[in-house]
Amino acid sequence: MDGMDLKGFGISRREFLKTAGAGLALGIIGKPGLLMAKDDHDLVVINGDPAAATRKALEAMGGISRFVKKGQRVVLKPNMSFNNPPDRATTTHPLVVATVAEVCLEAGAQRVAVLDYPLRKGELCLERSGIRDACKSIKGVHVAALEERKFFREIKVPQGKIFDRVEVMSEVLECDVLINLPQAKSHSATGVSLGIKGLMGLIWDRWSFHSKYDIDQALADLATVLKPQLTILDATRALVSGGPGGPGEVVKPNLIIAGIDPVAVDSYAVGIAPWYGQNFKGRQVKHLLMANQRGLGKVDLDQMKILKEKA
Amino acid sequence: MKTFFQALSLFVFSLLFLVFANYRLPEWLPADIYLRLDPLLGLSAVLAGREFIGRALWSLILIGATLVIGRFFCAYVCPMGAAIDFLDPLFWRRKDRSGLKNNLNWRKVKYYFFILFLSSSIAGLTLAYLLDPLPFLTRFFTFFLYPMVITLIDLFLDLFRPIFRFLGWMDLSYQHYTQPVYYMALLTFVIFSAVIALNRIVPRFWCRYLCPLGAFLSLMSPLGLFKRQVSPECNECLKCVRTCPMGAIEQDPKSTRLPECIQCRTCAKVCPQEAIAFPALPSSIRVHQLGGEYSSIDFSRRGFLYSFTGGLAAAFLVDRTPFTPTLGKQQIIRPPGALPESEFLRTCIRCGECMKSCVTNTLQPSFWESGLSGLWTPGMDLRFAACEQSCNVCGKVCPTQAIRSLSLEEKTHAKVGTAILHKERCLVWAQDKLCLICDEICPYNAIVFRTVDGYRRPVVIASKCNGCGFCEQRCPVGGISAIVVVPDGEIRLKEGSYIKEAQRLQLEFKPDAGDDKFILESSGFKVEGKEAPERTANPASPQQKPPMRKPAGFM
Repeated sequence: MDGMDLKGFGISRREFLKTAGAGLALGIIGKPGLLMAKDDHDLVVINGDPAAATRKALEAMGGISRFVKKGQRVVLKPNMSFNNPPDRATTTHPLVVATVAEVCLEAGAQRVAVLDYPLRKGELCLERSGIRDACKSIKGVHVAALEERKFFREIKVPQGKIFDRVEVMSEVLECDVLINLPQAKSHSATGVSLGIKGLMGLIWDRWSFHSKYDIDQALADLATVLKPQLTILDATRALVSGGPGGPGEVVKPNLIIAGIDPVAVDSYAVGIAPWYGQNFKGRQVKHLLMANQRGLGKVDLDQMKILKEKA
Repeated sequence: MKTFFQALSLFVFSLLFLVFANYRLPEWLPADIYLRLDPLLGLSAVLAGREFIGRALWSLILIGATLVIGRFFCAYVCPMGAAIDFLDPLFWRRKDRSGLKNNLNWRKVKYYFFILFLSSSIAGLTLAYLLDPLPFLTRFFTFFLYPMVITLIDLFLDLFRPIFRFLGWMDLSYQHYTQPVYYMALLTFVIFSAVIALNRIVPRFWCRYLCPLGAFLSLMSPLGLFKRQVSPECNECLKCVRTCPMGAIEQDPKSTRLPECIQCRTCAKVCPQEAIAFPALPSSIRVHQLGGEYSSIDFSRRGFLYSFTGGLAAAFLVDRTPFTPTLGKQQIIRPPGALPESEFLRTCIRCGECMKSCVTNTLQPSFWESGLSGLWTPGMDLRFAACEQSCNVCGKVCPTQAIRSLSLEEKTHAKVGTAILHKERCLVWAQDKLCLICDEICPYNAIVFRTVDGYRRPVVIASKCNGCGFCEQRCPVGGISAIVVVPDGEIRLKEGSYIKEAQRLQLEFKPDAGDDKFILESSGFKVEGKEAPERTANPASPQQKPPMRKPAGFM
């Protein structure tokens, strides 16, 4: 009957020990700043290797448990659009994806789906980007490229200025948590392709964004309905020209930028490197300014509280 | 035993074809092994191409085995024979099949085909692919069966998707296979169905009367060890005569038409007296004692002459149509590594393996586009799909190396053509729109924007274009693309390195960063601080320079 005591609290003995141990460990080695990050910072910017910086960024955001609860279904949306290796900086680094997936499962997520609707042939993208391999050994993670209309479902866009309906990946609509894992890239039509631009990988008809609509306004429309709970932007490498598909100039800012406010994350990322050889601010990127004007997030760095750390 | 080997062989054939023949194919695995084993294909490709083909040496295995064992291939190995045998009972089980009246004359047809195909090869025209069972079946697999299998798998997945989701089998619930599509699927299907339908007349109609490979193997078989032997216990019940799938036993059940016998041993199985055996007889001297006959091989001197000259005439005629002189101006983009056009047409055996394996489905069979001699040859439909630059499977699976097997680096340099930009169709040149899809998609930055009369305009740098076709495929102009790959500048080498040839021609296909930066600066994009005026350029007055602009998307 001994075991019943703990069960009465809804946790097993092992979990209790684990949690207590983790608490102790944090109390001993954790910095006070980290524990308070959740209230204090709009953004955390971590310098370091993909895996270590990602882990650190999640800690600095107040731990993944702030976003992912036990038994929840998580969708990770990395950029898997191209069948290039990670050093070409056209896709999210596989270790960033694998690290976030691992952490989500550690937090008790029921399952983690790593999804994108790639521009090139899905099979090849999953393979050559290295993302499928990186996630292969993690049980409970499913990496897939969804390239068929049957995987999408139409939803309304109540605040849409130029479209009122959009077909979104059903899995995203049905999941509990959406975490955006964009890659920092230049983009020939939208200047930069960061978190908000990356959301286009979750809709079926992105062609009309290019051909029919004003793409910047359309992106702001999309950001009103697709709201990831967390954005972890991979700027360990950045493709500063020739985006989104490359080949182009690749620089290595070695940064992971995480935040809840998608506009703030993107706006910060605009400033980390010169794009096409020129320096820009978030405010100078049309779709970010539009998203800001729609009240979707902060665009000016001086209004953000930013935590910068090294991993 | 026969059925077991047939099923096994058809299974291996299907497995290599459906599962392994794709861009992941490892170097060591010969997915085209059945086609390589075929001595008729090898011989006709070598004769027609006048070139030694390494992979054709594999057929020596089958030749050797046939010399030693006899004509066993048709009964135990041939996947076409297996397909015919397995489909036969589905359609014609209870039908009374009396066969052809002029049975003996019809049997000669396959030898005539065999001679005709060889003589046309000598004259430089490949025809064996028309009736050789292996490319025949591979074609059916590629253009019909494979797309059908994918359709069925996807239907199955769709049906059970909710259950997969419910069970938490997420990988299965996300699974979907891209539907491959091919021109000439219907034609290929009709021809295959016709061959199966011929079984209505007599079992294995194809094998008895038409198959040139069977003819070739039967010509090799007299020395074979195993021969049908009937003991005196025979009570002449004629069961064997009725059941022999090849009709190799005629009126007298004790004698055998040995060239037609494929050693399937059906007769031995049905014999109530167990009077039939297939002992190993080391010498063919005793053939006559067994009542067999090789003395009258089933073709006449006249027939031989007719078919031999027929083949020469066919080659002569096909070579002298208006198609031939236009070959040099042909429109078809051949896959990277394809031999020079005339060698290519002579060597390609139209099996369709390359088209099945092609990862993007850009390889499509041609009809008359490259002349009468180009039927079913692979061409790239680049408006439909581009050539994936990280894939080199088409050469790997080509049994006659009409498409040379190249390393990825070599393949990249095997330029298939050059993109031509049609200004009058291009949205930027003709309508002054802000389109840059071709520039964006090009893997080699072969399309750049240059300032022309004050406007930014896309142009093609031919020396950086290897013809992969991404621009043509993605061009948003409706109908015919505004940027089209033409065979101009293609590199077709019989031998030697494409990399060296490309260097010699001063071509460079490299995923460079390109000169986007230079373009933006040279077009006068304002660095931050100043507000960029909205685009007000009036294309009607080209003298007036357009206002300075920033990269698209920035303000």
